Amino acid sequence: MSTDPRLARARQAAASATPPPPPPPATGVPDTTTQPIALDGANDAKDADVSPPESFKLRFCTVCASNNNRSMEGHLRLSAANYPVISFGTGSLVRLPGPSISQPNVYNFNTSSYETMYNELDSKDPRLYRANGILNMLERNKGIKWGPERFQDWKVGAPRIPKHESDQGSRGSEAGTVDVIITCEERCWDAVVDDLLNRGSPLNRPVHVFNVDIKDSHEEALVGGKAIVDLADNLNNAANAERVAHGSEGWNATSGLGRQSFDSRVPDILGEWQERWPQFPALWTLAWL
Amino acid sequence: MAANDSSESTISRLEGARKLALSDSVHYPAIVQGVAPIIGQGAALDLRRWGADFLAETYASPAFAVEEKVKLSFAALPILKAYLEADDQDDAVVKSSVQAATSMYPLVFRHTIYTPTDITTWQNMAAIKSSILRRMDSAAPGVKLCCTKFIQRVIQMQTPGVISDPRRPDQNEISLSLVPRDHPLIPPSTLEAEALGLLDRLLDVFQNPAGDALQVTATLNSVGVLVRTRASIANRILNTILSFDPFRLAYSGTMDAKTKVMVKSMERTLKAFLINLNKRNPTNPMAGRIQGHLDRLAQMHNDAFDTTGRKRAAPLEPPDGLDPSKRQRLAIDAFGAPALPPGPVSMAQLFTLTADDTTKGFNVQTIPFNMVNRIVVPLLVSVNQDQLTNAVSIVKQRLQDLSGSSSATAIAQALTGAGQGLDNGTNAASDQLMNRMEAGPVATDRPPEVPTGPFIIPQPPPMEDYEVTDFGKEMVLRIFGMVETSGETALFKMPTKGFNRVAGSNYDRDGWVTIAVRLATRTTTGLEASGVKEEDGSSGGPAFSLATEIRNVLHQYVLSDFRRRIGVAISWLNEEWYNDRMRSRSDADAAGSYDGLVLRLLDGMLPYLDAKDKVLIRFLSEVPAVGPALLERVKRLAVDPERVALAVNAIHYLVLFRPPVREICIDALEDLWHNYEDARGASAKVLAKWRPEVLGEAAPQAKVEEAKPEVAAKMEVAA
Repeated sequence: MSTDPRLARARQAAASATPPPPPPPATGVPDTTTQPIALDGANDAKDADVSPPESFKLRFCTVCASNNNRSMEGHLRLSAANYPVISFGTGSLVRLPGPSISQPNVYNFNTSSYETMYNELDSKDPRLYRANGILNMLERNKGIKWGPERFQDWKVGAPRIPKHESDQGSRGSEAGTVDVIITCEERCWDAVVDDLLNRGSPLNRPVHVFNVDIKDSHEEALVGGKAIVDLADNLNNAANAERVAHGSEGWNATSGLGRQSFDSRVPDILGEWQERWPQFPALWTLAWL
Repeated sequence: MAANDSSESTISRLEGARKLALSDSVHYPAIVQGVAPIIGQGAALDLRRWGADFLAETYASPAFAVEEKVKLSFAALPILKAYLEADDQDDAVVKSSVQAATSMYPLVFRHTIYTPTDITTWQNMAAIKSSILRRMDSAAPGVKLCCTKFIQRVIQMQTPGVISDPRRPDQNEISLSLVPRDHPLIPPSTLEAEALGLLDRLLDVFQNPAGDALQVTATLNSVGVLVRTRASIANRILNTILSFDPFRLAYSGTMDAKTKVMVKSMERTLKAFLINLNKRNPTNPMAGRIQGHLDRLAQMHNDAFDTTGRKRAAPLEPPDGLDPSKRQRLAIDAFGAPALPPGPVSMAQLFTLTADDTTKGFNVQTIPFNMVNRIVVPLLVSVNQDQLTNAVSIVKQRLQDLSGSSSATAIAQALTGAGQGLDNGTNAASDQLMNRMEAGPVATDRPPEVPTGPFIIPQPPPMEDYEVTDFGKEMVLRIFGMVETSGETALFKMPTKGFNRVAGSNYDRDGWVTIAVRLATRTTTGLEASGVKEEDGSSGGPAFSLATEIRNVLHQYVLSDFRRRIGVAISWLNEEWYNDRMRSRSDADAAGSYDGLVLRLLDGMLPYLDAKDKVLIRFLSEVPAVGPALLERVKRLAVDPERVALAVNAIHYLVLFRPPVREICIDALEDLWHNYEDARGASAKVLAKWRPEVLGEAAPQAKVEEAKPEVAAKMEVAA
């Protein structure tokens, strides 16, 4: 049986990076009410908090047409780099290549899992789908999350905890909000920006929407995944640098928005990135969740 | 370190509480109330950041009920106010606070509308609002961003919207329309004036020549909802946006990567914004203008980005003006042919037209022959005619000069003493190469090394008669091969095209049949000796006739499946008949081929007809002409007692529907009645109507007589 070597690597990375379990839920409701008294003393010490600035992480969202190849490669890479990440597709249906170009395998978003797709295609024609990489891809995806999600159906800000807790990259993305959306195709970028305009920004939260134009093939997705992580690293470093520059340290929690001038540095970062990755034409806008 | 630990543990405990709230929004009120003292302005920076962020998240959460949010704002507003009015402000805290305030403003606004007595809450909100507006111009970009969003929300609240259902105020969109005119805290007119002022500030970003992509895209992405839902200000916003030029930055010459990103970003966001407007409401009054602007944007995109894609122009002065090899070659040097040295000249000198020593020194023989072969033809094609004439005239001039001068011997030697001359003559450039080739035969009797002159393929040997016949037959078979392989059904679909059809215009089966038939009937008409009777085709004369061959094949083609190919037969025979007509017009005694062919075809079919075959009737009724000979063949069918009815019916049909041949058909019937015992009964029925006197003169049988009246009546009904 052949397995995706990247999958193993990712699992390893994920396993090694698995954070210690969150504090036990013993701090229930009664605890929170008693907390103020217990914590009052802590307020005396306001400074000298030193913790690695890397602990601050931007939250990412990768988007492609079917939430299978490019966005999932990005999802895997970003989660392997310990970023909070979720992923979506913008198509009307999940379309996977079939025996011919006019016979794609079609699935519904949100209701079909990678597991069922894998099993179905494996029973249909294992040789074909092994040869064109579809089964390997689905096998990888199975290890990342349950199934493809549609961007247009994403309820922004709705907590993702109970349902998506086991997804890779779920740590930090529990609140269902993101700071950066990275699409993999101009069509998807258009769809995302259009959809955000339609939503009318109920959350009043700024979000940077990037497009990194990646061809829909396994090879390009691999390279594109690297490019996405590179972009994410640069963005995150900038955000961290701002936090440190503004005198704040000690922040090992997952959320936070303290990256004031970070926003204005985004065009610089993207410009530099584009010079490093000229094969992926990039696009950017600041939209609202 | 203790402080550090406690701060970290506090935050991890706060995170636990946050997770609890996320998993069930019921816990939000308790948690917010609980953490309020911890995260207040006096707390450590990271606690304040966490608190501000948590508040923003809480108020953004769609899971948390609106009513609860409103109740919670009594506790949250003072915290936000403290954050925003503090002396030591952290941008992260401020940013999150502004976000929280943005989400909170509509809730507090509605609360104030319905409870005008709650002055404190509104005052807190108003203080926050003015604090945010104050910092709008001086804040860091990230904070400014969120201030933009806050302003957009304030404008949305403080301009009149549409009240969709006055009976259910909680379902309505929160807007100025809900505010009563005499509201003590928030007088609508003041609020609206403030909103219009804020709108100007919001739209200022489009007039800013610096073109800050961050603010521009953020504003574009936030005002969409205003354009959609606030008719009173939609036009103003749209006009400003339509006059905004996203390529402003691109005009200032070269673009670095950042500028490119910003220009592209603004352009695409503007496009997305406009497309979204038109898509949501295609019938809006501005749709036309928006579409026009989109087209213009595409044009501007080309203008802005094309210049950067072009190569830079060639410099006016060459970089090294002194080096001739670096000079631009604007034209081939004019023929400044060097004068011949006095005294005897070699052949090489005679034909040397260049002063360039390197060219003169080039040995053409180093080029392999196959290369020369390849070069020469394109070279000859590209020779400039003027240059060639010029070169020839110079050489002519030289020859004349030489022969005119006393050194005539020298030229004679040069021309006859080929050995030396030729060796030197090879030192010439490509121009000279051609000259040499022209001069070659003159100068030497060696065969030219490079074959010149046109190459003529030898005539093929004349074909034998049998070859002609074979190839001709093969050709005909190939035409029918096309007939076989082209579409099966096309033939029967033709009627749909009506009169507009041109025969053989489409390459279906019918088209190929038409081509074959016309090849047979028309092409060789008048070319072949008119005396040759090839129409029966059986003679197999020595000379091959295309027409005969095609007719033979057509004949076989039809007969091999005549029930289905009757249509082909009919159209073929029609062509034949027409062709005969045309020929007889020019040549009265020209022999027609139609009569023979139709008989031959019918003879081929007759043995296979069964008693109820409709093919015969169709054939007889559709062929262009029916003659006595044809009827004779039909009559002979009546010999077979099984097919008597077939013969009589066929003739009867002709009697009924083919008046020109009615007479001869009735004659035929009469003949049947007289001479064919079996046909008597059937033909009598028909004759009873058309020629009853015949029945009378012969000895009628009683049975026939009895049948006559009713048959006649039937016939009349049928007619």
